[in-house]
Amino acid sequence: MKPSSRITIITLLGFWLTIFGGLPLLLLLVTSFLGQHPEKFFELNFSLESYRQLLDSSYLDILLRSIKQAVITTLLCLVISYPFVWLTARMNKRNRNIVLILVMIPFWTNSLIRTYAVRIIIGTNGLLNKMLLGLGLIDSPLRLMYSETAVVIGLIYLMLPFMILPLYANLEKFDYRLVEAARDLGAGNTQIFLRIALPLTLPGIIGGSIMVFVPTMGLFYVASLLGGGKNLLVGNLIHQNFLVSQNWPLGAAMSTALILMLLSMLLAYTFILRKMKSREVAG
Amino acid sequence: MKKLFIRFTVTVFAMLIPAAAVCSDKVFVYNWTEYIPDAVLQQFTEETGIKVIYTTYESNEAMYAKLKLMDGTGYDVVFPSTYYVNKMAKEGLLQVVDHELIPNINGLDALLLDKDYDPDNTYSIPYMWGSTGIAVNSELIPIEKVTSWKDLWNEEYRGQLLLHDDLREVFHIALSIKGYSSNTRNPKEIEEAYLLLKELMPNVLLFNSDSPRMPYLAGEATIGMIWNGEAYMAQEENPAIAYVYPTEGANFWVDSFVIPKGAKNIENAHKFINFMLRPDIAQACVESVGYATPVLTALPLLDEQLRNNPILFPSRAAIEAGEFQTDVGEALPVYQKFWEKLRSGN
Repeated sequence: MKPSSRITIITLLGFWLTIFGGLPLLLLLVTSFLGQHPEKFFELNFSLESYRQLLDSSYLDILLRSIKQAVITTLLCLVISYPFVWLTARMNKRNRNIVLILVMIPFWTNSLIRTYAVRIIIGTNGLLNKMLLGLGLIDSPLRLMYSETAVVIGLIYLMLPFMILPLYANLEKFDYRLVEAARDLGAGNTQIFLRIALPLTLPGIIGGSIMVFVPTMGLFYVASLLGGGKNLLVGNLIHQNFLVSQNWPLGAAMSTALILMLLSMLLAYTFILRKMKSREVAG
Repeated sequence: MKKLFIRFTVTVFAMLIPAAAVCSDKVFVYNWTEYIPDAVLQQFTEETGIKVIYTTYESNEAMYAKLKLMDGTGYDVVFPSTYYVNKMAKEGLLQVVDHELIPNINGLDALLLDKDYDPDNTYSIPYMWGSTGIAVNSELIPIEKVTSWKDLWNEEYRGQLLLHDDLREVFHIALSIKGYSSNTRNPKEIEEAYLLLKELMPNVLLFNSDSPRMPYLAGEATIGMIWNGEAYMAQEENPAIAYVYPTEGANFWVDSFVIPKGAKNIENAHKFINFMLRPDIAQACVESVGYATPVLTALPLLDEQLRNNPILFPSRAAIEAGEFQTDVGEALPVYQKFWEKLRSGN
């Protein structure tokens, strides 16, 4: 590539990032420091009021609940994905590609539509209940809809590929001969998993977990559609402040706080990764 | 986060489009979803030659935010509910409606004119009105057991209740049980209502106000709040879903035609409103959307069964027991604070 065309591409990318990434973020940050006004979206003066309100105990409760739900979703995604990816990585190339394509296909449908699909499946008169009733496994329909369980089911369904793909990228490189060697030397299954598989796949596990955890905090429509809007999550609060209560500074402050929180998680991740790499080199 | 930005950009562009097109033979109508039959809009264009540019919204808040951002430009006719009329009028977003250009105003029910939210109907003309009452699935709950808002607190209905995702309507329930006005601005009364609603929460299955009839039809919710028009539509699919006017009084609302301050096609807006108030057009609207019309002259045209349907047309006693919403002004943040507490389980 000629240096001049490289500069053009970088300039274009920089432009694109500034306009669609940097500028909105800056607007959000500025809005979060504006004053609140009951009849306008905001008042043009500097104020820390919104950040002070963030410390309100009910908001902290909502934050804790969102974190709890995101942690449960992440852990369940991990538990479901790990054996799946482990087996997939052992397959021959053709089967492996088929499996990965099957994982990707649902991605082509909008996530909102897939949330509605979950509703049709787990509803009181839904497919799942009809099937279980038909098989005689239950006498009265399970009432799954509009509960935290329903929200977690929906979140796992939407987020699973975000766990599978980073894990796969990591496990694909995993040298299976290490397992064979360990077995020859008399290691049991637990030992192989804890001392060989787990440490070597840790970057994939952490990467996948962050890919699931971060978007889960903001998926407000899953909580409203499957949870019945009973338990507000951080995403719902931001949505409500911007579009219902017309309190832009508070909504912007919440968004800023959420971004900062997730950003520090990403930084921690890169830090751990770098540390692991340097240890590898040293070891 | 990214989703939110995309939404904003899309909204901003969506707002610019109607603002850019200004043409004399058009009228820009911004309405609730499923609120005017398409045939009626076509008939208007055929009769007057005025093209209707029709856009819809799902909540007063969304409509208000859009008009406020654009400072009242971009649309010629909008349909805010009761208390949003005086909120918007007070904030200078609306213009005075010229009654002389709307001769059909004479056919309107005096009971729905000159209300607190807009004295003398300076800024608004009623389009349709309705109530928020109780829906009961009479297959699962004997209908005689449900007569009052208080019955929703019955422990038998644990995890079965539907409430509207609308703070004013939900607070109306508790305020009217306590004997207070549902338009109160007194923080103490609002707090008492909150404490009462908190006891109701274990019964609540979900909050919904885009189409509250759906959870009843799907068999998820068995009892709870509903708009009368939604109840009417639900009965067409499942006659077991009954509508009850609670003894403490239902919550009444009116959706009105208003003309935003920055409207470009003012004359066409008046023509449109006058057309919508014609008896045969009002009849077509009632038959299609299932809410009551304030056009008295349209009532004789309605099918007798529809005209006598108490879901659509409540008795005078039920109307007098109920209350119409008005703006609560500076008390709104107080409601909001308690609403958030209620929704976050505190």
